[in-house]
Order: sequence, then C-alpha cells, then structure tokens
Amino acid sequence: MAASSSSSHPAPVGVIANPASGRDIRRLVAGGSVVDNGEKGAMVFRLMVGLEAAGVRDVIAMPAGDGLIAALRRRIAGREAGGGPRLLPALEVLDFKPTNRPHDTVDAVARMLRRGVGAIVVLGGDGTHRVVAEHCDQTAICALSSGTNNVFPELRESTLAGLAVGAVVTGSVGLDTALVREPALRVATQDRTALALVDVATTTNPVVGSRAVWQAGALRELVVTVARPATVGLAAIAGQLGVRLGRGEALHVRLGNPATAPFVLDVPVSPGLVTAVGIVAWQRLGRRQTLRLDPGTGSVTLDGEREFTCGPDDEVTVQVTDGPWRVDVDATLAALAERNRHRLCVQLDCDRPFDATRS
Amino acid sequence: MTEVCEATVAGLDKEQLLHVYRVMRTIRDFEERVHLEFATGDIPGFVHLYAGEEAIAAGVCACLRDDDFVASTHRGHGHAVAKGCDVKGMMAEIFGRRSGICKGKGGSMHIADFTVGMLGANGIVGGGPPIVCGVGLAAKIRATGQVAVAFAGDGASNQGTFLESLNLASIWNVGCVFVVENNGYAEATASAYHQGGVDVAKRADGFGMPGVVVDGTNFFAVYEAASEAVSRGRNGGGPTLLECKVQRFYGHYEGDSQTYRGEHEIEEARASGDPLVLFERDVTTAGVIGADELRAIDQEVAELIEEAVREARLADEPSAADLLTDVYITY
Repeated sequence: MAASSSSSHPAPVGVIANPASGRDIRRLVAGGSVVDNGEKGAMVFRLMVGLEAAGVRDVIAMPAGDGLIAALRRRIAGREAGGGPRLLPALEVLDFKPTNRPHDTVDAVARMLRRGVGAIVVLGGDGTHRVVAEHCDQTAICALSSGTNNVFPELRESTLAGLAVGAVVTGSVGLDTALVREPALRVATQDRTALALVDVATTTNPVVGSRAVWQAGALRELVVTVARPATVGLAAIAGQLGVRLGRGEALHVRLGNPATAPFVLDVPVSPGLVTAVGIVAWQRLGRRQTLRLDPGTGSVTLDGEREFTCGPDDEVTVQVTDGPWRVDVDATLAALAERNRHRLCVQLDCDRPFDATRS
Repeated sequence: MTEVCEATVAGLDKEQLLHVYRVMRTIRDFEERVHLEFATGDIPGFVHLYAGEEAIAAGVCACLRDDDFVASTHRGHGHAVAKGCDVKGMMAEIFGRRSGICKGKGGSMHIADFTVGMLGANGIVGGGPPIVCGVGLAAKIRATGQVAVAFAGDGASNQGTFLESLNLASIWNVGCVFVVENNGYAEATASAYHQGGVDVAKRADGFGMPGVVVDGTNFFAVYEAASEAVSRGRNGGGPTLLECKVQRFYGHYEGDSQTYRGEHEIEEARASGDPLVLFERDVTTAGVIGADELRAIDQEVAELIEEAVREARLADEPSAADLLTDVYITY
C-alpha cells in the first residue's frame, strides 16, 4: 500500500504526465481530438492546487518535452505573479533528459520511489498507467485520463484528485478507505514478461506500426479484467457480453470473423467507432489462473496498443494477478465529507441539518 | 492451432514491401553518397540531407497513386525518390549538369518532375502547403479523386503560409494531407525555443481537421496513418495533418557543425531509430521477406548510386546559351 507520512511532514507526491498521450491515429480513424500538452500542464497545475489545500508541500515531476512542463511553469509563474492567497507545493522536475519513450516513465518512477513519494499521480492513457503500475511496487497511483480512449484512468477534474491524494499522503483519510487493489494481467512469452491493467489481445497484424487497435477483424483472442457495459475500447467487447466479473476475475473471449462467427456484437472499440465483432466463445478466469493463448504470427496488444510481435510458434500466456493500489478519489472525498459532518455535529452538539442563517 | 502466416503486412503484399524497402534504401544510399560528394567541393549550392527520415517519404508515398501530387521542402531528395523521380537525373541535377532532371538549373532545392507528381523541392520554408491547396482545389473541381500532399518541417509549421493553408484547405474541404516532419529543430533552433509549447498536431483542431502524431521512424506507423488520411482526402473527407516525430542523421545543411545537438544524440538516433533497421526487423519477423532478399536490393541500389555519380560527373554542364531557356512557361 502507499507509503504514509505524518501530516506535519507529508511525503512528496510524484507526478507522471505523459506528453505523448492523446495524439495517436485514433484522432483520425475514430474522431478523437488531440489533448495538447498545454492542457496537460494546466491539469498538473490544478492538481497542485488541490494538493496544497490538502497539506502537501512537495511535488516531484517527470521531465516531459513537447511543452508540457513549460506550460506548467507558465501557470505557476502566473499564479505567483498574481499574488494568489496560497503558495503551491514546491515543484521539482527530475533531472534527466527525456527520451520521449516509455523508458522515461520507468526511470521517473524508480527515482520517485527512491525519494519516498507517498503516491504517484498519473496523467495519460491506459498505456501510461500500465508502465507505471508495472514499476511502482506498493506505491498507490491516482489515475487520470488525458486521452479519449481509456478504461483504467478516470476523466476527472485534477483539483479533486489533488485533494484526495493529499488526504492520503497526509494521513487525513486511512489507507483502508482510500485505496483499492486493482486486478491486472501478467503476460509472458519465452523472452519477456509484461503487465496489462485492462486487456490483453492477440491480433493477426504482424507489426506494431501505429500501435492502436481499431480493426476488430484482426483480433484473435482477448482477456479482460474489466467487463463493464459502459466502456469504450477492446474491453467493451467483454462489456457487451453482460458477464459480471467478481473481484480478481477476468474474462477470456475467443473472437472470429463476423461473417461466420456464431454471435456478432456491435461494439464501440474506440470513441467514434462502433464496429461488428464476431464472438466464438468465452470463459471466466479465476484469480491466479493462467491461460495459454493460441500461437500464431501476429502481435500482442496490451491495454489496446500493439506492444510486440510474435512468430507462428511463440507461446504467450496470461495470468490473472494483483495490480496496483489505486487512490479511490470518490471514497476519499466522501470520507473527508463524512468527517466534516461529524465535526460539525460535535461542534453544534446535534445531528440535524445545519442552517447557516440561524442566529 | 498454428495459423498460416499472413501473405501481407498492413495490407501490403510482398512485392509492395520489397518496393518500399528499395525506396528507403535508395534514399539512404543517395544521401550518404551526396554527403561524401559534397565534401569534395564539386557540388554547387547547398544540400540538406534526408537520411533518418526515410520512413516518412516512403510511408506517405506508398499510399499515393501515380497521378497524386507532392510538394516538397528544401530537404526534398527523399520525397523525390519516393514519388518516383529518376535517381540518375536527380544526382545529375545536384551536380548541376545538363542531364539533370531540371537540366542542371535547379539543383538540390528545386528538383521537380510534374510527370510523376513531384511538384518540386522548395527553398522557401513553408512554400509547399499553399501549392497543394491549389492542387486540391483543381482535383475537387475536376472530380479526379487526386490527393495532394505537402511536406513541411516543424519550423515551417510556424509560418503564416502553413497556417493559412490549413485554413484554406479546411474551408475548401479539399483532399490535402499536410505532413509535418518534426525533427526537433528549425535549422539550429530546438522546438522548445520556437513552438510556443504547443503540439503541431494540435493546431489541426483549430482549423477543423484531424491531427495525428506518429512515429516517423517506423514505416508501418506512418503508412497506417497516411493510408487513412489519403483515403479520407480522396473520398471527399477533407484535409488531415500528420505530425511525424523523427530525427535527422545529419545537420540542417551539409557543413553544419551541429553544436546545438546533444553529445550522443545522433549516435543514439542511429542506434534506436533507424527506419531501415526497424523495417527489416518487422518484415523478417513477420516471415514475409527474407534478409537475403533485402541484401540483394542493397547491392542493386549501391550499383545504381555508383552509376548515377559516375554519369553525373561525366555529363556536360549547361552552356551560357541555356541561361535564357526554360525561364518562362507559356500556357
């Protein structure tokens, strides 16, 4: 679980904001729009406002090119020049040159863990969160979406995320209340292992290319940890089946050509793109269960992105496992509100609705 | 259950994939040789080399028909090769010889051949986008389904010509694709110092067109995005902006000391982002093409470039009488 700290010297909060998220080919094939880095910088700024209000003093951020950190610094400078009522937490941008590749995230998470961050706030898509989750050990993450096609991270105002994360690292809300353990999928081949948070799929497309997956006809098999009907992406295929997964369970779906498959669904595989998907069979997977996927030349996708290719005889296995601890923003803010209500009632010695106009 | 290997990769069959590799290998060898020849002092004017960016020209042009058009940049050799210009004619042009593709009067920055849809390299930064708006409008009026592609750099993306062209193409709803080859530098100025902290692709939103960022070192990434953009343009869907992140292996121009680049930046780019290496890895892993087939192409291209240089050096220069020909065109 997340490292905690005393409220007088709260642990720093890490921030991983991916400058490359929200700009891929889905802007073209599925009608998404670009989430520019100016807005991501503004999201981090608003996050810091929330963190400050909750008592956090220090923020450690991953260096990010393409104007993200520059946009953040402009916001901070504007706030300071405007003589705002409260100082923001001190911002430290980790001192390494970004390569604009996922290794930046791996490097930044390792450095943040060594610095003892109490939590890591992540701004990105499912892919960014996957990389953080694979390397953040027991440190909790707060997952914020800065794209248009995400299942794991939430579309949420970052000020609220800052208030909730601040409550966690200052100890205002207990970890039992504030954190939830998410499931994950451990993928293994002969020469690599990797983690997925939402879905793993095999496709007939033998190149990684633009990474995104939007052509459902290329899908062979799918394993998901999330099967909510109101979901967009590959997980929506499972979501449309109406299967309710228990905590720690996953669903394995075997896919086929819609023209010949016994069952066909219209699935929102991406925002702005609903397409026919052929369903051949599905089965529930229990916690710790390992599944061997059918071999075949193609690519393996992790959380909706082609990640690596495989040859005709390569073995790919998927195991349902424990994933990262996530800050439950709703539960944390609800706990704070409940504590306010309790304090109010104690102060007024009553349990009635409070009327501020009462003399 | 073992499945049969796909006969195609990203919809391209083996013959098409071999052509793509030949294009990229030709660009690379052409540029590596020009790099050497320029150092001899025998090439007049300036040259700007495209090495490292091959996947963009090859990926975009692989989506185009013969009668589609491209408008290029000062770094235009790659676009010319990919659109089908004669390689020997290009080399002769760069050497300023009468046998050159423009009779030796244009040089590196004005290589053009309308017969293959190459509207010209362009010494004006941001000069290509307005041209393709006109091409797009003509194609729309004639209902030919032709697509016009403008290549531009990240520096050009700040030019008024570029931004006005996005607007024009959008309001005319013409089949144009604006390809920004973002190699991180406008000449010697890093993007962080000249782009105001905003992604180039994001600028498309402001003009009502989709904007996409792709890995410009990966042929298949470029090809997948360009296929969608070109198809969209051809079928009346309007313009698209593709921002291709890439790194050039040489300086802005030949002779550039590149003191503005990181200590190991170029070595790292060559080690991790060589488009030819990445392409070979993909197609051989997929089992569609063997490495021996690629080596055979390497040999053929090496011989072609050698012949191109030898013939260019032996060719005549334009005479004084040629100065007044081909200056104006009569419609």
